[in-house]
Amino acid sequence: MEELINKIKSRLELSSEAEEFLYSISKVKTLPKGEVLIRQGQVVKRTFFVTSGCLRSYCIDKNGREHTLLFAIKNWWISDYIAIHTDELATLTVECLTESNIIEFNAKELDGIHARFPEFESYQRHNLERHVVSLHKRILNQLQLSAPERYDLFLKQYPDIEQYTRNYHIASYLGITQQSLSRIRVEKVKK
Amino acid sequence: MKALQIIKYGEIKDSLAFNEVAKPAVQAKDVLIEVKAAAINPIDKSIILGNLQGFLPIPLPSTSAYDVSGVVVEIGNEVVDFEIGDLVYSRVPQEQMGTIAEYVAVTSDAVSKKPGNISFKEAASIPLAGLTALQSLENAGIKENDKVLIHAGSGGVGSFAIQYAKAKGAYVYTTTSTTNVSWVKELGADRVIDYKTEDYKTIVKDADIVFDTLGNNYTAEAFEVVKKGGIVVSVIGPLDEASAKMFGMADYKLPAELTKLVKEKGAAYKYVFMHPNGAHLGEIKAMIEDDKIKPVIDKVYPFADSIEAFLHLASGRAKGKIVIEIS
Repeated sequence: MEELINKIKSRLELSSEAEEFLYSISKVKTLPKGEVLIRQGQVVKRTFFVTSGCLRSYCIDKNGREHTLLFAIKNWWISDYIAIHTDELATLTVECLTESNIIEFNAKELDGIHARFPEFESYQRHNLERHVVSLHKRILNQLQLSAPERYDLFLKQYPDIEQYTRNYHIASYLGITQQSLSRIRVEKVKK
Repeated sequence: MKALQIIKYGEIKDSLAFNEVAKPAVQAKDVLIEVKAAAINPIDKSIILGNLQGFLPIPLPSTSAYDVSGVVVEIGNEVVDFEIGDLVYSRVPQEQMGTIAEYVAVTSDAVSKKPGNISFKEAASIPLAGLTALQSLENAGIKENDKVLIHAGSGGVGSFAIQYAKAKGAYVYTTTSTTNVSWVKELGADRVIDYKTEDYKTIVKDADIVFDTLGNNYTAEAFEVVKKGGIVVSVIGPLDEASAKMFGMADYKLPAELTKLVKEKGAAYKYVFMHPNGAHLGEIKAMIEDDKIKPVIDKVYPFADSIEAFLHLASGRAKGKIVIEIS
């Protein structure tokens, strides 16, 4: 929890009251590999801040295949934000790819924190802006970059990710087949 | 719910019918699966033809087939490994046979989460053939650098077995007909023998394991190519004594011809009767997710055309598995 508090403190003056409130709406948890935190089709009430380990969010298409939306490593947030912000049922599943330490929040309480502590307004806006930037980059990269270029960027963004993930997780994040991913890796070794 | 049922033994066209039946009851250890896809296997055809009446007596009418993939929609109160919404696959046990239906109840021991990187249709094609290959080759003690002969490389069991043996680091010989040589080679077999133009007995020498998926003469011939101390593992040849005991035939003796070959060659003979096993399907899931094994599908039929699917199976011309999409 301290990591998150320090992260917040680096961007705003956090009153002891606000800090106390953050503690009151959060739970620190250690989760085993394979734990499913959100399941497609269920109501979503929680959002998670990762302090160690690696989680993945993915959707399952009508044919039963998984498509990875994102990996969350240290200092990332993860949930199904579509479900949280539209009150729809989860379209994503969120699972731990390795034993992970997370801080769990009630998403509605966290979202409403600025009503009680206005100093959070700019902090939350900053987080939202960064989130939009990252999403737009992901979409544009998907539209304009080649698969090897996307893989290179992926490794820069998630430098240690391969110790946690299966090949099909990465292939499904990049939108390519596992065979293509293997070919890209072989080409990289040759360079 | 709608189900494809065996209504009598005999010709496929006359023996199968779509019936409205009750949704299966869920026992304490069962999961109820909403079926997305089912797959059919040669055994399903043999049951319909009545060839297995003495061996696998089933009450008629009975819903057909064993392979399934789908979504868990209900769980029994003793089930701990699955939750509603899990995507799963299974080769259902004999007493729960009936996957060409909207729902099937399956003991959770026989179920595994499905591989995440393949479709429901592909997942349904795996269990029976995959378990048969895995259990046979593991029973034979397959290990790295073993020379393994797998007969009928283009069949459901053969095509899986080639990939499994390669993943275990074996050198794989397989037999198939001319038209299948190139795609069977793509599965990873080291030496594909075209049985129409080549005699496998002159090519394979001193195999550590012969996997007999054909029976008849092939079971005895396996002893010509297996090495001393090797093993012939069969899913279709005569029962061995241990399997016979399992089926309650205490006095059963291995046929004299095979006993003689076992002695002469100093090689073992094992009969493997595939058993449903969720943990084994879990191992297969990991291998599929790691791209070591790929499903091989011949054709997918809609539920309404299930009888056509059986006629195609009976033609013996399928390359890989025949799948039925249920929903």
